[in-house]
Amino acid sequence: MSLEERELEVLIGPQHPASGHMRLVAKIDGDIVVELRPNIGYVHRSVEKLAEVKKYLQIIPLVERPSLADTTANNLAYVMAVEKLLGIEPPPRAQYLRTLLAEINRIHSHFYGMGIHGVMIGSSTAYMWCFGDREPLIELAQELTGARLTYSYIVPGGVRRDLPQGFEDKVERVMRYLENRMPDYFDIYFNNPVTRARLEGVGVLTKEDAIKLGVTGPNLRASGVPYDVRKAEPYAAYPELDFDVITEEAGDAFARVMVRVREIQESIKIIRQVLKNIPDGPILDEKYMKMIPPNLRKQVEETGHIKFPGVFANLRVPAGEAVARVEGGRGEVVFHIISDGKMSPYRMRMVTPSFRNVILFEHLTKGARVADIPAIYGSLDYFPPEADR
Amino acid sequence: MQDLLSVIMEPYVFVPLIFPGITVAFLLLLVIIWLERKIAAKVQLRYGPLYVLKPLGGAIQMVADLLRYLFQEPIIPKTVDKLAFIMTPALLFGAAYLPTIAIPVSPTFYAFRNDLSLLIVLALSTLAPIFTVVMGWASNNKFSLIGGVREGYIVVSYEIPMFLSALSMAVLYGSLDLVEIAEAQKGIWGIFLNPVAAITMLVLMYMSTSKFPFEIPEAESEIVAGAYTEYSGILYGLVMGASYVKLYVLSLVFAILFLGGWNPIPGFMANDPLLPGVLLFIKAFIIIVIGAFLRAVYPRFRIDQAMDLGWKTMLPLSIISIFISLVEIMIMGGA
Repeated sequence: MSLEERELEVLIGPQHPASGHMRLVAKIDGDIVVELRPNIGYVHRSVEKLAEVKKYLQIIPLVERPSLADTTANNLAYVMAVEKLLGIEPPPRAQYLRTLLAEINRIHSHFYGMGIHGVMIGSSTAYMWCFGDREPLIELAQELTGARLTYSYIVPGGVRRDLPQGFEDKVERVMRYLENRMPDYFDIYFNNPVTRARLEGVGVLTKEDAIKLGVTGPNLRASGVPYDVRKAEPYAAYPELDFDVITEEAGDAFARVMVRVREIQESIKIIRQVLKNIPDGPILDEKYMKMIPPNLRKQVEETGHIKFPGVFANLRVPAGEAVARVEGGRGEVVFHIISDGKMSPYRMRMVTPSFRNVILFEHLTKGARVADIPAIYGSLDYFPPEADR
Repeated sequence: MQDLLSVIMEPYVFVPLIFPGITVAFLLLLVIIWLERKIAAKVQLRYGPLYVLKPLGGAIQMVADLLRYLFQEPIIPKTVDKLAFIMTPALLFGAAYLPTIAIPVSPTFYAFRNDLSLLIVLALSTLAPIFTVVMGWASNNKFSLIGGVREGYIVVSYEIPMFLSALSMAVLYGSLDLVEIAEAQKGIWGIFLNPVAAITMLVLMYMSTSKFPFEIPEAESEIVAGAYTEYSGILYGLVMGASYVKLYVLSLVFAILFLGGWNPIPGFMANDPLLPGVLLFIKAFIIIVIGAFLRAVYPRFRIDQAMDLGWKTMLPLSIISIFISLVEIMIMGGA
């Protein structure tokens, strides 16, 4: 390095404690970041290409894998697109169950993001608490679906399982626990002077930039844009539920965290409404219900666990094109499926929120300090496998 | 055997080798790292170290860790400055432990008595950061370099106010001799006479030993492990232990300056080093445990914020503490 050369190029990752599965190429001048370019693609799994050789039902687990903390959004968006092509509408009870799982998933996805953010700015307590308090929600989801993270709960025409016995009480207990727990987070983490000093005014994203860059999810709402797919293009049971779109005005790292915290409270509200208003009825579309053999159908009615009708194995989707959008924990998930009437899609496009938010790395870190890199990274709730797909 | 024991009990052997010297420092290292993890675990609703000696809650976890460090291959990268790379951990640990020789254990038990023992301790304690900076340079790694530079910046922002607040107590007691300073606190402890100096020194002590929220030179999520990034095996064990030993030394100084040292102690016990030594150790230990507890409470500051704190808040406070000492001397009519 010559004396005139002021900039130092630091390669953060892919083998770095806080880089995740990606490399950040940072040019720094002293403690100031001149340029930070994310180098993504380390965990590319070619989900879109694989989808072209897999059957429609096999694609459900496939699209869940990339975003491990927020699987329901992908599951739901994909199935919604398939249902549009099939021309079926799931029964109301299934819609409510989908909403229930989506909101449980949203809460634990937000905890996941906040926990990682906490340890990135040095608060191991926030990390451990968030991951600990994620657990009751995962247990709830496990009881509902049988899996902890990759639920594959939502299938074309409905959902796989009905509410278990006494599930409402358990949910209510968890919700009450969360409500009692949130003040502790404010005491030790959100209102901690060091946390405030590290996050307030750091990585400010203005409203105009947020719209211009096509940012999505809580990161967009933290800049004061009240955009939420649940309101803009309601799906599942959301049209019948009462909830607010959370926004913050500041647009800094702290506002992004606060949006997540307040969304957790909003999700608790939604979950309570779902359990109060959930209608009785079937959880799978009548057309598929009829295809289940009679003795198995009896078993389904007794246990509430769906047995897949034979047609699911080789599900053929009519030729056509469909787009479905879902508001996941990290932002808008879009699935675009083109079918040519065969057993696999002709082309499947999967747009994940992390992929749309990755542009912020370069945009927000310009002129920030080296220590702000993890503070900004964490506040975006960016998940490399989800962006790479 | 009797002769050996009497040799060991000689102050100039006992102080550097047993207490407050290397043996107790080493034992403390084993206990405090376990305790730090255990406290953090308690706050974070988990167990912490558990399986190494389960009945005592994993109390000898650090012994197991030490064994691992000892038998792990210390990898020395090809491109490092070998001499500096290998020497600095030992020098760093040595420099951190060196000031203990000037710390008295009781009014009559000390390795050597000097009019300037406070200055000697403070001066020796400034040696260690130099080796951290050297380490950052010798490692030939960008993260190490940034860590070394950060250590340098931190040193210049804590050292002056910390010394000023320590010296304000010397002004108050009219002496730089640690024995005299401790003896002067038979009645009221220094922390009550000059709380500003006590708070300043306490905060800056944690800053100087990279405790949270000042764990900046080795911030994991930013620069991996700062200057220690390239170290492994027992070399890493030494550098990791050095900051704890430094905190131990500074806590002893803090206990003598502000917490009355070995006071209160009954007159007839004063000549026996055991009880004063234990009292001094307990006071220092409490200070260290508070430092360990901070890990569970705070995230870490940015380097510029820590420097702001040092220069814009702590330096004025330490100057104020000198004035407080001067005013108190005038009121009490000279020391």
